[in-house]
Amino acid sequence: MRSEMSVQSLAAPGFFSDLQAFWAVVRREWTIFVRYPSWIIALFIWPVIFPMGYILTARALSGVNGTGLATFKQTTGLNEYVGYIAVGTMVWMWQNIVLWSVGGSLRNEQMRGTLESNWLSPTWRFSYLLGSSVPQFISMLMLMAIATLEYIFLFNVKFEGSLWLSLLVVLVAIPSVYGLGFAFASLVITMKESNAFVFLVRGIVMVFCGITYPIAMLPDWMQSVSKWLPQTYIIHGMRTAALTNEGISGIAFDLQMLMVFGIIWLIIGYLLFNRMERRARKTGAIGQY
Amino acid sequence: MSEFAIEARQLIKKFPARAGTGDKATETSPKEKRRLFPFRKRAPKPMFTAVAGVDLQIRRGEIFGLLGPNGAGKSTTIRMLCTLLEPTSGSATVNDFDIVKQANDVRRSLGTVLAGERSIYWKLTGRENLEYFAALYHIPPAVAKKRVDELIERMELKDRANELVEKYSTGMRQRVAISKALLARPPILLLDEPTLGLDPQAARNLRELIAQLKQEGHTILLTTHYMEEADLLSDRIGIIDTGKVIALDTPEGLKRRIDQKEIIRLELSGWHDDLAEKLRNISGIENLTTHQQGEADLWEVNMQAQNSRTAIPRIVENISGNGTRLVNMNIVKPSLEDVFIHLTGKALRD
Repeated sequence: MRSEMSVQSLAAPGFFSDLQAFWAVVRREWTIFVRYPSWIIALFIWPVIFPMGYILTARALSGVNGTGLATFKQTTGLNEYVGYIAVGTMVWMWQNIVLWSVGGSLRNEQMRGTLESNWLSPTWRFSYLLGSSVPQFISMLMLMAIATLEYIFLFNVKFEGSLWLSLLVVLVAIPSVYGLGFAFASLVITMKESNAFVFLVRGIVMVFCGITYPIAMLPDWMQSVSKWLPQTYIIHGMRTAALTNEGISGIAFDLQMLMVFGIIWLIIGYLLFNRMERRARKTGAIGQY
Repeated sequence: MSEFAIEARQLIKKFPARAGTGDKATETSPKEKRRLFPFRKRAPKPMFTAVAGVDLQIRRGEIFGLLGPNGAGKSTTIRMLCTLLEPTSGSATVNDFDIVKQANDVRRSLGTVLAGERSIYWKLTGRENLEYFAALYHIPPAVAKKRVDELIERMELKDRANELVEKYSTGMRQRVAISKALLARPPILLLDEPTLGLDPQAARNLRELIAQLKQEGHTILLTTHYMEEADLLSDRIGIIDTGKVIALDTPEGLKRRIDQKEIIRLELSGWHDDLAEKLRNISGIENLTTHQQGEADLWEVNMQAQNSRTAIPRIVENISGNGTRLVNMNIVKPSLEDVFIHLTGKALRD
């Protein structure tokens, strides 16, 4: 082993260094993601398999010749019940994956033993959460694109709306979906267990946000709860943008609500993260499995 | 710039205690709680003191060994110094930066090896790991590339640098973890059990590297379970027990403390606990420890004696006739292990 000469730190702190660190987290997360072959199942198979049960149930309930679809159209204004379910389940899958992957990202690092070695560096701590969200979002966009193609070619679904408006809803929904993920990640690192929380949150989304049925079907008190959940607006906005020709005016209210929820959830996520970070320094929670 | 790379003053760390593990002063019975805190619904939570007032002054350029049995407080002390934990009270500086108020400057001054091979990503290659951590330590990309190449070469990882870490041996993973700590060329290194789990050759190579790093001007705080390692590498050693530094000196200075005592080392077969009691009762014998050698019925028994000439006949007398056989007996020079036993009353592996 050769020797070297002097001890002169090579670190050059600054905004660009933090940006470079953030990008390194993104690259690391993406590299590890593609090295587990299960991502192929997640991208190609799950988006079709998961809604299948709901679609077949709907087909059975609509009657042999689809006579029951008139009632569905009366409530939703749509004929395309497969597309209706596909959009709802896709949003549910997005939130579900964010809860597992972004919400569990710090906990996974903790169990792997790498959280402390990240925490020992002078990088802005929030970069780890932000950085782990980017590859997750990219894979989610891929999942949505692949799922859309699969529905068009396998189920003959007609997405009559606008691709760009659908993308706009997705973009505006990012702060709400990921803000919840950040808050979740901070709670999980303190509670050391994520399963029960994930089941609770996704159960609430499933029941209250109308992933397979219109909110109008719910009792009044449940509809009141739905109004406080951003996923309700994501699902409504996505359905309107992808399945109808209502244009921007049809999703304007959803977009406004998502912006408000986005700000609130990002603030909650950031505050909870900072609180967890301070608490962990006092209790030693970062190094505990 | 202070002459000390690390300075700790009355560093204390307390954690909320689990049932039955709290400090005596804070564990109170329900009746006592009602008496002490009549107007509070809940009495203060019992606390467990992991570090009970550590004072340390580690000079620039020295290797400082921190020794202590499991649960003595050495890992908690290291975790406070590298900013993973905030002290309950007291203060410390690393490279003249306060560990609470200037935590990021402290992190920039330190290269830390904690948890060894688990501190790196097994699904990344050795090179990818180093490139990733170089970015976290804010090393400019052009410099980082050169530095990663240098460290891969130095740590003899060149042939396997582009393989996933999961395919590496423990020794190779440990070398990646140490390279990670050296990336930003920090003036101070904290190495927590760096040779744990390594084969003898890999451990020897690592000890050589640590000695080289000192020659290059790094200050090194080293914790280890291996006394010979601490003796060989450290300029000074602090012995920590029950959260306090109970002795601090050069290895030679520590050994001089029990120079007037002799260490009697026996190898026996047919050992039984009654015999330990009998040997402890011999006048002038203290700090008796036993250690079974492998699976066989062969035991190593160490004890300190004021005068071996008077003690040995009594020892032999007690051993004979109880199914115990004396295989070997030596009077040896005190080692650091004996100093440790003398000071703490227990072996380091306890």
